[in-house]
Amino acid sequence: MKICMCSDFFYPSIGGVEEHIFNLSQVLISFGHKVIVLTHSYGDRKGVRYMTNGLKVYYIPNWVFYNQCILPTMVCNVPLLRNILIREDIEIVHGHSAFSTIAHETMLIGKLMGLRTVFTDHSLFGFADLSAVVTNKFLEISLSTCNHCICVSHTGKENTVLRARVPKENVSVIPNAVDTARFTPSLTAKSNKDDITIVVASRLVYRKGIDLLAEVLWRFKDRPTIRFLIAGDGPKRDLLEEIREKANMQERVDIIGAVEHSKVRDVLIQGDIFLNTSLTEAYCMAIVEAAACGLQVVSTRVGGIPEVLPSNLIILKEPNIDDIYEGLEEAINIHYTGDSSKILCPFKRNKTVKRLYNWENVTYRTEKVYEQIIKEPDPKLGEKILAHLKSGVWPYLLVVTLCYFCMRLMDLLLPKERVQKAKDLQIRKQN
Amino acid sequence: MSPKISRPKWQKNLYSNESYPDNYTDESFLRDLKRNVNLKHYTYFEALCGATFLTNQLSCITSFLLNFYFLYTEEVSPSSALVFNGLITIVCYVLYKWRNMSLKDLVESSKTILTVLIFGFIFSPLMHTLTDAISTDTIYSMTFFMMFLNVAFHDYGLKSALVSKPISLNAAIFASICLASRLSSPYHAFALLVISAVYFVLYPIFSKMFWKPYFLIPIVLGCCFCLKMVSLPVLYTYICIVVFINVACPWAFVKLQCHKDNIYGPWDEAVVHSDIGLEKKKRL
Repeated sequence: MKICMCSDFFYPSIGGVEEHIFNLSQVLISFGHKVIVLTHSYGDRKGVRYMTNGLKVYYIPNWVFYNQCILPTMVCNVPLLRNILIREDIEIVHGHSAFSTIAHETMLIGKLMGLRTVFTDHSLFGFADLSAVVTNKFLEISLSTCNHCICVSHTGKENTVLRARVPKENVSVIPNAVDTARFTPSLTAKSNKDDITIVVASRLVYRKGIDLLAEVLWRFKDRPTIRFLIAGDGPKRDLLEEIREKANMQERVDIIGAVEHSKVRDVLIQGDIFLNTSLTEAYCMAIVEAAACGLQVVSTRVGGIPEVLPSNLIILKEPNIDDIYEGLEEAINIHYTGDSSKILCPFKRNKTVKRLYNWENVTYRTEKVYEQIIKEPDPKLGEKILAHLKSGVWPYLLVVTLCYFCMRLMDLLLPKERVQKAKDLQIRKQN
Repeated sequence: MSPKISRPKWQKNLYSNESYPDNYTDESFLRDLKRNVNLKHYTYFEALCGATFLTNQLSCITSFLLNFYFLYTEEVSPSSALVFNGLITIVCYVLYKWRNMSLKDLVESSKTILTVLIFGFIFSPLMHTLTDAISTDTIYSMTFFMMFLNVAFHDYGLKSALVSKPISLNAAIFASICLASRLSSPYHAFALLVISAVYFVLYPIFSKMFWKPYFLIPIVLGCCFCLKMVSLPVLYTYICIVVFINVACPWAFVKLQCHKDNIYGPWDEAVVHSDIGLEKKKRL
């Protein structure tokens, strides 16, 4: 199959969505599919680039408008996107992330060209404020013609079904995965057995519960054997540094700033306990990576997190200071007493995670979705327009029909047959 | 066709449901959905009380503009306007500080007032001519927009992103500097600026502390009485706005409450509780 992944979020930007697209594409290529990625240009990185195993990436020339997303013009990109989809002979358009404009635009154009569309939702969204109402309506409009949706957790599925009003049976739950070969436990013994290091690795923003973390930090000010290692950067870094200074913990709290994803393992293996204080999370890659590195995970019970790890790998607590402190206390006690019924060998943890989450399994399940939708018939133009009508936003039909007219115009100016087909990159197998 | 295989019960997790298709929807789907948690229905009276804050601010602006009008038409001399407003200010100050008035406070406040008055007086010729070159129409439309900003950004005691005391106060002061240039002498301008400080700096502090909904009645009646002397169309506009804000808006608000419908679930962002603030205070 020929698949086009489209999202505003891709390398060189770093995050869960980026990782997901890259790894999924890599395994799909190894399964013998053709995959291209469509994203907007990042600084100097524009045009066509090839990544590992010949993954072709189109960095289309668009200005970033807000939060790494391009300006939603809906119509202006029609010629370019149509050209790419024809050039690459795409059959399936796979959009990622509800916030990505490119994903929605490409899915609309792909749909009007008669391709099948899949959408993966990586985030959770509430219903209580104005911005949520607006974004949810946009998502509903965009997904009304989508063939299939993929969510990363069951909570995510509930959320997407409510937000975008897509039929339940058109939503699959396929989790993220972790490259357990890269996230392995440390092989060297610890120099000081009495000291316990608690690792935190996340962006330092409100949504990650850094305010809670700061208070928890304060509670450990009289515990000289407990050390903290905090990786990540963001607006809440000042708060942590302030607390660290007030509590006189400069010796014991390391705030090392942003860390490249390839170096995260090196940070994780320095610790014994991993703490996640997120206030909302669809899947939470970080706790899985930490568990793969053999750490005892303590996390807040929010969003999809309770679904991710079996109870012997994780201590779940409510998102408030007392509970998180209690959870850490529990984890520390397990460590000190060395209770063999509760303490798990780090390598066993790694093996468990490997069995639960690996990219081959994720890709295999995604492939099944592709196989299923490719058999679905392409609805007529009238049916597609009617599907958009269901969302109740009538003016949006103007956008859809304008896009359609643009594409008909492009068909006249540059007929499909005259678009040059891209040659597929042949990679020699190294035996 | 397919033989019935006994499969393990579906669980809401991401690792133990291999025997189920990925798009399987269990009957426990959306079990954690909650509707209208902490829903509060407001009564008409509560809505009305809330609306009085807005009317109060509008009346405050109206009274200030009335002061300007009387100074502009020279119906009232600057001195008498100053004395009148000054007396009211002193009465309100005494009320405001009644509980814990001390000589020290009094001296401090007098110092501040004297500084403001003296500097205001020295700079009043400058303020008077600052926007002299701008045409009167522009001044009036600018005043309108600035006062609109003042109303929009004023602090009505609600938590909202729109509230900004600095913007609201600066807009009002800017409007009064604009208006000051239309008056006949620097002394007039000085009087207007002092009055604007009373209405837009001191009055909000005072009314925030003592506000009771029925205070609105004397305020509105007073405004109506003065407006009647100025112009009848303006009076009718004012009355219409007051009726609209205090009768129609609360009524619509109460009526439309039946459409309140909100859903909550595990996808909602957890709220960091306010006990954090307490611990922070302990540290300081």
